[in-house]
Amino acid sequence: MPAKPVNIGSIVFPKKGDATAFFQSMLYKYELGDKVSDEDANVLSALVSNHPEAAAKIGVGIASFSVRTADFGTRCFWVNRSDGSTEKFSFRACY
Amino acid sequence: MLAASLLARSKQRNHKEASLRIATAALTLNTSDSIRDAGAILLAKLSNHRSVELAQQRAQIAPDLEGRLGVSMRIEAQRRTFEDSILLNASGKWLAVNNFQRDLWESASSEVTWLSASAPTASGKTFLVLHWVLDYIRTTNTRVAIYLAPTRALVSEIEENLKELCADIDGIEIVSLPLQTAYISAISKHKKTVFVFTQERIHLLANLLEDQLFADLLLVDEAHKIGDHQRGVILQDAVERLCRTNPNIKTVFVSPSTQNPGELLQDAPAGAFTASIDSDMPTVLQNVILVEQAPRKPKDWNLDLKSANSTLNLGVLKLANKPAGLRKRLAFIAAAAGGRGGTLVYCNGAAEAEDVAHLISQLGVGVPPDDQELRDLADLARKGVHRNYQLAPLVEKGVAFHYGNMPSLIRTEVERLFRSGKIKFLACTSTLIEGVNLSCRTIVVRGPRKGKGHPMEPHDFWNLAGRAGRWGNEFQGNILCIDPYDEKAWPGGVPARSRYPIKRETDYVLESLDDLAAYLDRRSSDTSEQIEGGEFFEQVGAYLLNTYMRFGSLTKAMFAQRHSAEALLRLDSSLAPIAESVKIPLSILERHPGVSPIGLQRLLNAFHSYEGNIENLLLAPSESVDAYDRFVTVMRRINQSIYPVFLPDGLIPLHALVVIEWLKGLSLAEIIKRRIEYHQKNGRSFKLPVLIRDTMNIVEETARFRAPKYVSAYLDVLKMYLKERGRLDLIDDEFDIGVALEFGVSSKTLFSLIELGMSRMAAVALYEKIARDDFDREGCLNWLKEYGPNFAGMDLPNLIIKEALGVAGLHNDGSDETTE
Repeated sequence: MPAKPVNIGSIVFPKKGDATAFFQSMLYKYELGDKVSDEDANVLSALVSNHPEAAAKIGVGIASFSVRTADFGTRCFWVNRSDGSTEKFSFRACY
Repeated sequence: MLAASLLARSKQRNHKEASLRIATAALTLNTSDSIRDAGAILLAKLSNHRSVELAQQRAQIAPDLEGRLGVSMRIEAQRRTFEDSILLNASGKWLAVNNFQRDLWESASSEVTWLSASAPTASGKTFLVLHWVLDYIRTTNTRVAIYLAPTRALVSEIEENLKELCADIDGIEIVSLPLQTAYISAISKHKKTVFVFTQERIHLLANLLEDQLFADLLLVDEAHKIGDHQRGVILQDAVERLCRTNPNIKTVFVSPSTQNPGELLQDAPAGAFTASIDSDMPTVLQNVILVEQAPRKPKDWNLDLKSANSTLNLGVLKLANKPAGLRKRLAFIAAAAGGRGGTLVYCNGAAEAEDVAHLISQLGVGVPPDDQELRDLADLARKGVHRNYQLAPLVEKGVAFHYGNMPSLIRTEVERLFRSGKIKFLACTSTLIEGVNLSCRTIVVRGPRKGKGHPMEPHDFWNLAGRAGRWGNEFQGNILCIDPYDEKAWPGGVPARSRYPIKRETDYVLESLDDLAAYLDRRSSDTSEQIEGGEFFEQVGAYLLNTYMRFGSLTKAMFAQRHSAEALLRLDSSLAPIAESVKIPLSILERHPGVSPIGLQRLLNAFHSYEGNIENLLLAPSESVDAYDRFVTVMRRINQSIYPVFLPDGLIPLHALVVIEWLKGLSLAEIIKRRIEYHQKNGRSFKLPVLIRDTMNIVEETARFRAPKYVSAYLDVLKMYLKERGRLDLIDDEFDIGVALEFGVSSKTLFSLIELGMSRMAAVALYEKIARDDFDREGCLNWLKEYGPNFAGMDLPNLIIKEALGVAGLHNDGSDETTE
């Protein structure tokens, strides 16, 4: 069975592994605490809307995205909401 | 007695010491009344009036000595009393002093502008200097005086002493915080102010005042620390910085037993009147006693008094248990010899101090009657550090330990109870010779090391040994040296008496001319991993570069007279291309002594080539959710660009976490608790005493020393860059990171509590009970007055309640039922 392509916004990844590699490299391109660039933020907006708990993650609305630490020293994307609250999400859960 | 009275007139130390030994023997041995009287007169001739008073208190001489003297002796005694007194001009009171104290007072009060004085530890230096500072301020136009004490421990001690002395004097403020408001109030003729600062705090205040810190008087205590590795140059820079603003500043250096106090006067500006006072006069006898095991009898130890060329057997010390291992040896001998209390046991490192104290506590020698003050200190150690912190149960048995990174409230209380005799045994580390004024009856020592592993130099050993014998409390002190012939313990034998040579860190480093020049040549091109020899050259290199940029050549600097022109020109040629490449103005570089301009320039270059969002260069306030991550990143950037300070890289997250918690105003106890929980949650094993000491270490060394130094430099360069980019709107000036980190506060209320004179530990405990985060001093005082009466119901340690009520001018009256 051929691999199932993954659609994130306007980007199409031939298979899951490609999407994972793409977001992994985006995650490590930044330093801890950085806000991601506008371009990457657009991709992440599309990504988080695919999250199974998208409504809870997005809440009142997205102001920006950051790269910060999660538990046990790992790093992760965070949604910064327009009311100042913030929530982490796993990109792997979005496809 | 005749010989002794002749020797008393000599200027030589060994003569005076012999005279003192005879006088002491006359008073303390089983002699006749007339011999005792003669001993007392001899002491008075040695201007040692405090020991005469002690003999009177102890009834070693009969009352009314003067009544028993003949007419001529009486006249002479009165003349001596008169000569050995000084008049406090401000109050009209007389103070009894010794020769050294009199000389120091007279010179300091004269037209001399640069003065350097040195005398042995128990000569009453600090006592006199404190009185003099206050008297001088009150009787002259001095508005701002700075008392430079090179350690935070000494700062709190001096601050407390000065406050006590001016308790009933109006118009003098004692401040140990770098507060612009206090400075402005001082120069606007509101209140005269004595700032008690470490060298770092002088720079903090000068930075806050944009270099307009104009002081009339500078007093440098423990001035020999100008030679300290890494912090010596910061001290020197602080002195020079104050002199630049006020070239006529009156400067007084004080140091313990130094060979060359005059050395410090070489930097005096042209036209200054200088004087040096060098006293080597003993005030109490110090007996070096060699302690060696008797052959085949591990429990019997021979005691031999050491003198210049011979030893005198004093007897045998019998131990109750076999001392297996070196720590037991130290502990058992201390317990057997120092049972009367006032016993200091010198240990090599904090872990050893904890162990030795624990061993002593089991021998049942320290046990005092059940005592409230000791219980309060134990309570504080449990609540302020950890419920299992070993200090607590030890203190309850009259034994304690003492090392550098302990919270200062606990450490000063340990010192106070040791002085008062409630703590009988104190196991200490080299922190004690790094500027804590603590004397004792007996010192027990074996193979002393300073810091990590280096055998102690003779002058360091004598700085320690000089603390045996509390002038005015005892006639003599004993220094017990264990295994004196063991080469591992004492590589050069028990050191002969020696005085400290003052040598500036800068001069010391400048002597390694070739290596220094090579370091400077390499420094610009090396990556952070390659900066070799940085430890030794980095701080002084930064100082030299700033000096070069100020004058255009090192040959024009004040220190040029001490070095050959050839050497300086050689360094000039290394510094010139560097200065060329540094575009950061001197006004910014000067704010960060010891931080390399090359590193700062490299940071600026990194900002210029940064392609991401400019906001990613900023730090976040500690309350912000991304504060921790921002700190991790900024610490990494500092390592890469300025200098590798936060090492190893893998520990940056831990250091960043502790820094954030410290900034948030978390108590040490809470920081420790969270680390323990982290270890437990992740199934990592840990040793509690090690974890506690390690956390104290990160707080003191990283959060309070390296982070403020380097993070504030980072922010200054960032500010410069943001200005270039027209984005100054991003900088939040409320957030002076240097001050916030030094004091571990990020809320106004917390800072105001510390401003009122509370220790951070007490302020933090109290802040947990205060809802508002924006109180000024007045607001805090009002809160204390309102809630003070209910403190008993708030589960605060007694010592903290005491401190808080003291600050608010309330006392435990009425509100504390237990005193009824």
